[in-house]
Amino acid sequence: MSLIIRCPICGKRSAYEFRYGGEDKGPRPDEDSLTPESWCDYVHMNQCVAGIQKEWWCHRDGCGLWFTIHRDTINNLEVQHPEAQS
Amino acid sequence: MGFLMLKKNKRFWQRVALQSHYDAVIIGGGLHGLATAYFLARQHGMTNVAVVEKEYIGFGGAGRNTAIVRANQRTPENIPLYREALELWPVLTEELDFNLMFNNCGNLNLMHSEAAMNAARMNVATAQFHGVESHLIDARQCKELVPALNISEDITFPIIGAMYHPPGGILRHDAVVWGLAKSASRLGVHIHQHTETTSIGVENHKIVSVDTNRGKIYTPRVLLAAGGYSAAISYAMLGIKLPISVLTIQAMVTQPLKPILDHVVSSGAYHAYANQTLKGEIATGAHMDPWPNYTTHTTAYYIKHQAEALAELLPCLRGVKFMRHWAGLADMTPDMAPILDGNDLIEGYYMDCGWGYFGFKSCAATGKYMAQFMASGQCSDILKPFALRRFAQHRLMGETAALVNYSPDN
Repeated sequence: MSLIIRCPICGKRSAYEFRYGGEDKGPRPDEDSLTPESWCDYVHMNQCVAGIQKEWWCHRDGCGLWFTIHRDTINNLEVQHPEAQS
Repeated sequence: MGFLMLKKNKRFWQRVALQSHYDAVIIGGGLHGLATAYFLARQHGMTNVAVVEKEYIGFGGAGRNTAIVRANQRTPENIPLYREALELWPVLTEELDFNLMFNNCGNLNLMHSEAAMNAARMNVATAQFHGVESHLIDARQCKELVPALNISEDITFPIIGAMYHPPGGILRHDAVVWGLAKSASRLGVHIHQHTETTSIGVENHKIVSVDTNRGKIYTPRVLLAAGGYSAAISYAMLGIKLPISVLTIQAMVTQPLKPILDHVVSSGAYHAYANQTLKGEIATGAHMDPWPNYTTHTTAYYIKHQAEALAELLPCLRGVKFMRHWAGLADMTPDMAPILDGNDLIEGYYMDCGWGYFGFKSCAATGKYMAQFMASGQCSDILKPFALRRFAQHRLMGETAALVNYSPDN
């Protein structure tokens, strides 16, 4: 599966150097108002978008940085500015 | 006249006009959708049922899996479902009057460490407790069963033993699709191919309709059985997020050979499995992309991986050429168990998804119980552990001994 990801520190690298970190789900829920449902939603639930999604990656075999990118899950290409495309 | 009609209708299933009303609409013309439709019609007299499929029936996982069936799962919740599915193949072969080419050659799950052997001991004990034949055997016994196997110490992961499951084997996946479609169609089920669901209508927390590219259907019941596309449909059309990651999974076959392998052989350490089809090809898989995507692309990276694994496990295959290579989608849940649910969030809305790569071996039994659930509104005990709410209740099942490294959850 070819996928090139742009690491903010190391630049364009093969995705096999990285570890996928899941869909971007926003900030961790506030602990005071946490319910089993809201925690489950944050931990397990996904939108599984067939299209462009914002997601987390870690440069595991490189600099170790955690960062987000936008990627089209249908053609598996990183998208630089999804908002500007539409 | 009757003879002429017979000649004109060569298809196993009828092509019919889309009605404006059905008692149930099943989204997805794969094995789970077709099996549910078949059992709805046959066992519950519910024949005003539509199966709507965006492509053609068997397009997705139903036609892309590597046809392996077995019932040696790990948890007490899962085993009864897979056991019943395994017992159903000979029954369905007769009932559907269609040769499903069930070859119960047995499965050998190779172990390459003492830790793996210990994990297998628990698997075997659980299977035996639930009446599923499963044994632990040593390397020499493996060699006796599969003479082509390399049990020498000088390979990357030497074989220590195996979990041997005699009643499992292989089954012709396309035949299951065609057999179920033929019988369901004869019983009155409408199979609509090239019919894409565009939205699902809900009023007062009840299912009322399904919109398709060929028109609107009014219905009180919808079953989501769209395989790898289920989670995307669920969120896009109903706003219901599922604990699923969709990954592309690959498989391939070699050129046909004379019989050399009469068991399904699999190895977690090599991340490879292989069996010989009745045509003689060695069917083998399965690499999963380590990140979610809907591409179903194949890769050179995986051809190399598979060649290396097979050359060590079955050295007689060195030099044999791969002939075809393909990929499909696996909808993985965090506990490697499916989501089987209904009438919970929305009345009349049923789900049969999240099977990962186990959807083929389970389809017959699941279809039977989902049909019973949809016809009566009552969920049978065998399906209850698979409710979506288990994730919020922290009641995940331990279907894998150790988390697999291609899951995005670890």
